[in-house]
Parts: sequence; C-alpha cells; structure tokens
Amino acid sequence: MKSLSVLLVFAAVIFLLASFQMVTQALSDKAKQVLAHTPEITLQKMSAGRQESIPLAYGEQLAGIFGIRRVVPRIWGYYFDEVRLTNYTVMGLEVNEMPEGGRLGATLAKGVMPGPADEAQGRVVVGQSIKKTMDLAGRTTFSLFRPDLSLKPFEISGEFSPDTDILTNDLIVMNVADARDLFGIPAGLVTDLCVYVANPKEIETIAKKISEALPSVRVLTRSQIQKTYQVVFGWRSGFGSICLLAALAAFVILAWDKASGLSPEERREIAILKVLGWETSDILAVRSRESVIVSGLACIVGMTAAYIHVVYFDAALFRPVLMGWSVLRPDLHLLPRLAAGDILLILAFTVIPYLAATVIPAWRSATVPADSALGG
Amino acid sequence: MTKSPNRWCSPCARAKRCVEPMRPALRFAMFLCLLLALDGALLFDGLSRRMAEYATLARLEVVTRGLGLTDLAVATEARYTRHPAVSDPVVPFMDHPGAIEHFPTGAFWLPPSR
Repeated sequence: MKSLSVLLVFAAVIFLLASFQMVTQALSDKAKQVLAHTPEITLQKMSAGRQESIPLAYGEQLAGIFGIRRVVPRIWGYYFDEVRLTNYTVMGLEVNEMPEGGRLGATLAKGVMPGPADEAQGRVVVGQSIKKTMDLAGRTTFSLFRPDLSLKPFEISGEFSPDTDILTNDLIVMNVADARDLFGIPAGLVTDLCVYVANPKEIETIAKKISEALPSVRVLTRSQIQKTYQVVFGWRSGFGSICLLAALAAFVILAWDKASGLSPEERREIAILKVLGWETSDILAVRSRESVIVSGLACIVGMTAAYIHVVYFDAALFRPVLMGWSVLRPDLHLLPRLAAGDILLILAFTVIPYLAATVIPAWRSATVPADSALGG
Repeated sequence: MTKSPNRWCSPCARAKRCVEPMRPALRFAMFLCLLLALDGALLFDGLSRRMAEYATLARLEVVTRGLGLTDLAVATEARYTRHPAVSDPVVPFMDHPGAIEHFPTGAFWLPPSR
C-alpha cells in the first residue's frame, strides 16, 4: 500500500513535468517548422526604445544593396474591441506582392482572398475565433472604430481554415490602404518592411549592410526569429521553474521520509528475511529492484497521462497560464514528438533522483541485525 | 469417455469457483499489460495524427509565406506574448516608469534573447 501511494504521487510529479516538456516541445517544434518560411529580413524603425512607423522611403534606400529581390511594406497592429474585450491582430498588406500570396486562397475554409487594393476596398479575411467572437449570425459585414471614433465598415470575403488556427486565429487580413485608414497612419509610413533576398546564404551579409545604411532600424533575420521560438518556451520561465521546484520539493520530502528511518514493520520484515538466511546483498538487490519497478511504473503512468492530457485534452491544465487573459483561444492541436532525449530528460529529473534517494535507506535496512528487529 | 479430473483445489471445489486471491505479481503483470496496450494504441493514433499533420503543415507554410507571419497566435493578451519574435525583452516594462509585468502568460513565456 505504501508503494502504491508513492507510485501515485511519483506519477503525478512525472505527469506535471512531462506535460510541461511535451507542451513546450510541441510548440517549439511547430514554430520551427512553420517559421522557417517567415520573411528573410524584417525591418522596424526604433525611436526612444520603442517601435514606430517606418517611412516607405527607407525601402527605396535599400535599392542600392545588391542581392535584395523585393521589399514589401506592411501595416499591422492590434485592435482592441471594447465591446468584447478582445484583441484582434489586424494585418494590411498586398498579398499578390508576397511570395506564395497567390496560393493563400487554397488555405481558406470559405471565400476568397481580397484582390488588389481598388477592387478589394473594405474586404477582409478573418480567423476562426474572430468569426465566433463577433457572432455575426449569418451577416458578412461588421465595423471597427478608427482612432477618431468614426466607423469603418468591412465585408468578410473569406475565413481561414481551423487547421491554420495556430497562426491565423486572431487575424483580420486586409489591404494596406484599409489598414492605413483604420489605424489612421499617415501616407508614406508603414509598420514594417519585409525584405526578400535572392540568395538565402546572403541573408546575414545583407542584414549587416542594411544596419549600416539605416542605423535607426532594427533588422530581424529569419534565423533570429526562429531562435526566439527555440528559447521562448523553457524551464527557466516562471511556470517551468514552478514545475521543477514542485518536483524537487516532492523528491526532498520523499528522500527525507526514506532516509529518516525504517518503520517497525519494515524492520520486522527484514529481520524475518535474515533469519530465513537472506544475505545483506540479497535484501539490497530486492530493495533496489522494488525502487526500479516503482519508479519505472510511475514513469510510464505519468508520461502516458501527460501525453493524453496534451494531445486529447489540448493541455487543458496549462491553458490558463499559456493563454492567460486572452479571449481568443486557438485550438492548438498539439502533437508532441517523443524523442529519446526528452524521455531521458524526464528520467534524469525523476527516476534517477528517486533511485539515488533509496540507495542509503536500502543499505540501512539491509544491515539491521535480525535479533534487534525481532526484539531479541 | 474418461471423466476429466477435478481441477479445483478443495476450498474452491466447495465454493464451486476460484476463491484463491490473485497473486500480486499477476495483478502487477496485468496492469503493466494494460498500460502497454494503451501506449500501443496511443502510438498508432499518434502516427495517424502525424500523417494528418503533414497536410496541415503545407497549409501553415503557405500562410506563413503569403502573409509574412513571424509568430504563433497562441496568447493574444499582451503584444509581447502575441509577437515575441518582434518584441524586445524590455517591452513588458515599457508602459510607464516602474511598470511591472502582470500578464499571466508572462509566467509561461521566456523573454526573447538576442
């Protein structure tokens, strides 16, 4: 019964650690796969430590840098819907200027992408959560407030597929002119510039040249963006540290319990075994095997439960922290890839400390004199 | 036709059913088999999900390239967790002098290092 209770607590600790590891690993994996296609270089203007609109003329200044294939301006930002207390991400760009912009229509669940600016005035494509939150009840029109509180009407021309929720869930995509009008951004300014280069091997060199030509501009390369997502989810985050500390505290309590002495029942059991002719090494071996079985079984139970939690319940226990006060919540469709390294990491955090914590008590129990334990 | 020998032990024969308690090792083995069967089922389901994910991945790649996206739309509550790749580590503290980071997602996401 004691082993069963240890096993349950142990499995719960492993479940917590493995769930965190699986969620972060699945998100990092997804980011790695998807963000390999971000713009090669993104330019943002910085002023007083903050990002501000970048002049379109900066794009023209880049014309002299050999190797740049295309510079695409974008206007994007956040729109806070005060009625629904929701943040939308509004993105304005000319999709036909983007690589694979012509194929975007194939990713929609319904409708079409708006065409060039004149034809597509006021037409937008929205993410799944936007459609649900606005509760349009069959209508395809809605309005958003400009900064001067006048209303700007929009018509939904398409919806992104639920499959792309992890990227498009909170997006409202429109053309640059509409986004400029909505945010009240003056002509000649945009939010950022996407730079595409002819040879991907030259990205770093071209980024360096842009930094020299435009010192007030922050230059983000594709590799920097990818690197961000490889470190942004990790054990050093507040929540990750709490998971680790909880596991550590559980093991300290367990080790303390094991090391603080043998129960009379255990002493009696060992004494009987010794009387029956068991050697100290036999008892040590049996205790070690018991620890391996308890920790191994707890590991299987904990990791299986963690996988079910992450894949079938969409990491429901972590969602309140992962998404916080976000109103628009995507279906993550997480599918962790259980690599040998991840399993070893969980084992290193859990099973190995447990085995180590049981070695000394096992030795102590094995050296108990039989007559003292039996009260002789 | 020969009569089959009585396969019950005496207490069981009296009760006409097996009253012998299941051995702990057998119970353990059954539990282990159940777990392994569950894990096997999860593995096969995972493989089929992985195949479906390949198709989704192609769509995600087109969306990323077509819109020039830089971030995952996981947390929309704060701009530094909606777009960590294009935010500075100091952004959570830039609202006013002495501002503290107070969004729940800030506990899950590490600041980008560059």
